[in-house]
Amino acid sequence: MGEAHAYDVLVVGGGATGAGVLRDLARRGLRTLLVERGDYGTGTTGRYHGLLHSGGRYVAKDALAARECISENRILRRIAPASIEDTGGYFVATPDDPDDYVAGFQAACIAADVDCEEIPVAEALRREPALNPRIRRVFRLPDGSVEPWQLIESNIADARAHGSDAWSYQRLVGMERDGARIVAATLRDERSGSLTRITPRFVVSCAGAWSGQIAAMVDVTVTMHPGKGTMLIFNQRMTDTVINRCHKSSDGDIMVPVHTVAILGTTEQRVEDPDRYEITRDEVAALISQGEKLFPDLANMRLLRAYAGVRPLYQPPAEVTAAALKDGRQISRAHTVLDHGAMDGVDNYVTIVGGKLTTFRRMAEDTVDMVCGKLGVTEPCTTADEILPGQVPGKTYWLGHRLADHEAEGGGDADLLCECEFVTRPQLDAFLDRHPGASMDDVRRGTRVGMGPCQGGFCTFRAAGVVGERAGHAGATDVAEQADQAILGFLRERFKGTRPIAAGRQLQEQWMISGVYEGGLGVESLIEHEAPEASREVVSAQR
Amino acid sequence: MPSADVVVIGAGLAGLTAAIAAAESGAHVVVLAKGHAATHWGPGGIDVAGIPAASTPRDGIRLLAGEPGHPYAFLGDDVAAALDWLRPHLAAGGVDYVGDLDTPLQAVPTSIGGTRRAAILPAGQAAALSPWASGERLVVCGIAGFKDFWPEAIAASLLRERIWQGGSRPASVTSISVALPGLAARHNLNALEIARRFDDPAWRATAIAALARAIAAVPGSGGRVALPAVLGIRDHAAVLAAAEEHLPAAPFEMPLVPPSLPGMRLYAALRAALIRAGGRVQVGEMIERVEHDGQRVTAVVAAAAARTYTVRTGALIIATGGIAGGGLVAERDGRLIEVVLGLPVEAPPVEEWLAADAFDPAGHPLEKAGIRTDTELRPIGADGAPVFDNLRVAGSTLAGQRYIGERCGDGVALTSGRRAARSLTAVPAGHAAEPGSKRA
Repeated sequence: MGEAHAYDVLVVGGGATGAGVLRDLARRGLRTLLVERGDYGTGTTGRYHGLLHSGGRYVAKDALAARECISENRILRRIAPASIEDTGGYFVATPDDPDDYVAGFQAACIAADVDCEEIPVAEALRREPALNPRIRRVFRLPDGSVEPWQLIESNIADARAHGSDAWSYQRLVGMERDGARIVAATLRDERSGSLTRITPRFVVSCAGAWSGQIAAMVDVTVTMHPGKGTMLIFNQRMTDTVINRCHKSSDGDIMVPVHTVAILGTTEQRVEDPDRYEITRDEVAALISQGEKLFPDLANMRLLRAYAGVRPLYQPPAEVTAAALKDGRQISRAHTVLDHGAMDGVDNYVTIVGGKLTTFRRMAEDTVDMVCGKLGVTEPCTTADEILPGQVPGKTYWLGHRLADHEAEGGGDADLLCECEFVTRPQLDAFLDRHPGASMDDVRRGTRVGMGPCQGGFCTFRAAGVVGERAGHAGATDVAEQADQAILGFLRERFKGTRPIAAGRQLQEQWMISGVYEGGLGVESLIEHEAPEASREVVSAQR
Repeated sequence: MPSADVVVIGAGLAGLTAAIAAAESGAHVVVLAKGHAATHWGPGGIDVAGIPAASTPRDGIRLLAGEPGHPYAFLGDDVAAALDWLRPHLAAGGVDYVGDLDTPLQAVPTSIGGTRRAAILPAGQAAALSPWASGERLVVCGIAGFKDFWPEAIAASLLRERIWQGGSRPASVTSISVALPGLAARHNLNALEIARRFDDPAWRATAIAALARAIAAVPGSGGRVALPAVLGIRDHAAVLAAAEEHLPAAPFEMPLVPPSLPGMRLYAALRAALIRAGGRVQVGEMIERVEHDGQRVTAVVAAAAARTYTVRTGALIIATGGIAGGGLVAERDGRLIEVVLGLPVEAPPVEEWLAADAFDPAGHPLEKAGIRTDTELRPIGADGAPVFDNLRVAGSTLAGQRYIGERCGDGVALTSGRRAARSLTAVPAGHAAEPGSKRA
């Protein structure tokens, strides 16, 4: 077993919260290591709809959560503009939404400091003509869309610049407890199987819905209430503005434009195991029928895939009610830092639970404040003040930026590997240079290759070819295995996303892709007939 | 009003085969198609029964004919005759096919570094069909700047024994990439663009000389060279002949992701055969509805661009390509709709449509969905009787086959297309076309 250099703090979990905690700890001078069992942002962070909340969704029920959202929304626009598309948001009152909710909405926004302006219905329909023409009122709020993987990457980059580190594909497999302290943690490299033992002074669990599993390693009970949310990706942006229904949050009432596609969310369903859940056709049908209240033609638009994530919902055991167990929407979206010293007698261990991506930085700040208090560190939090690495002040993302950058660089003369998402060979090379050993799934998240309307049908094997060519030039011995993994992994993941929504044009497309890859190119001959991959833990597809 | 003896809907292998067979018997034939079919994205071979358990296509037909409900149960005996009939039509269109029902199914290498089991291939791929001799080499030769063919990755994959599915394999696999005249600095080349350059004799000569030099520089001699399937489109036979003459290894094309040049050549040869036989093809037509008198189909109403028009017809053949071709549409509620006439569709319940894994060796139950017919390809209604006397269904819309997974779609298409046409043209006259009327 290897021994790693001394770290002050171990952060468990490489979602947005973990990355935020890592950055904050690093900036306050604590040498920190983040570990993640898979790639960064493959848990709940990479499996949500991508909404940057204005807070409007919470104003009526949870004013505190709403206040936090708007405050963090303003901060993120400042520190991470490149990860945010400033789409703006409309809260629209459909004929089905209750008058009293709509009547009180603007006042509730103002009370929670959430900017909210009513605009004429005609103006909203002019900007978003696919909206239901029968909507009665429209409020404009500062919602947006946020790119989670890039956000994580820049948080980690900042932490590295401050002397800390992050390791992906390292699973925490055990912790040693000596009375009131955790004295060591053991990590397993998920690719090589090798073990590493580290001896941090403090452990922060940012494992979200998996927090109970981490706590159990040191005989501490954290009871999570994982809430599955299912989302649908459509092959087009039928709206350039985030659309929310102006009512008490429910299923299928939000549409978020994300890059070249749009995502309809969500459902709320309790699951026992955050690694085992399925999406049913009934759920998909229910989402679409709710979504049609916003976009009447929704059923005729092509669905690309369905995916689901699990919310890290938590309630203190004493406050758990029967209603909350039945309906996860009863559980607060606010976050809580669990002090396991006070609660469970483990002095150097905290867990952050609850929350949402929009408030990840604030969650990290609250967590790190507690850690610093316990370690006697007095450095203040600076994560809200400093722009993240690789970001340009005020330059938010817009859909045409890749084309614009390409043209600004002389343009035209680079192989376009992924036509849907405008990914060129130089871009893929640059990503692979920055991420040696990246899997094709990492490439997908990092570059968006294969995430557009063709869902990898035409770019998959080009990306695999580039990986093969580079691996060959680098003298790698597993070139073919890397290419297999690329192609088979892509096709399996794509199939998984299509399975619960199989119908219409997307099923036809799936059949055509089978015809090309199985019928024509013999893809099944690449399959090694052995045990199924361990990575197929989660039944639902990735985003 | 335009009229025809036979209207065929769909311009894939089944539809064009049906149309050629009907036209040969003297019928006025019109093919109406929404767009191009599976020919344009398939590898351009004729897959009759490339299942793992079969040693030859004939053996595969026998095995599939024993599967419950498989169309080969009533079509299997016709495949050999249908192939013999089709072959000269294709040859006349400049595409020779080699291999027959008794050719051993061979693991043919593909452009993703896998293999597919095939026995009947166009001449351009034929060199891949013979077993590998002891010590024989394979050179995988790419074209610099072409992003749909990655020789390093292909060669690395083909070096592995397991890829060859237990069959013979080359002693060595090497990869090279060759800059062709005028293309070296180009980006975003596509297969069709390169193929058109090969059609030009002057360019072709320099390009083949460059390929020959590069292949000669690879250690070893003889053997075979795999090239991306870009060796011409209009003048493919001449390009292939020049490559065979000048390259120091036996060339074969590897089919690519769409657009597939071998498939486009197959389509062009079929279309030419139909036109020679007096039929016509109209692509870009959407079928609005089919009119009937309760007993027989009487007319097809189609729309193209801004006009809608009616073709009166004596008979109708539906060859719409199943789910992949858009002839069957799966609804979210689990129903399958046959798009032309709303014919009854045989399909598994929605919960059983798809297996859990994309590559389940048993396939997905939904693959077998389709229209059930009698042995004359007449669709059967809920009452067990043919829906209309003068209606036939051919190709991938037929129930009981896994046209992709069993690699039987081409065999079923051409055999059912030909039989559908023959059974219609043997039916006593009674169609609506007046003699000498203007064709649609």
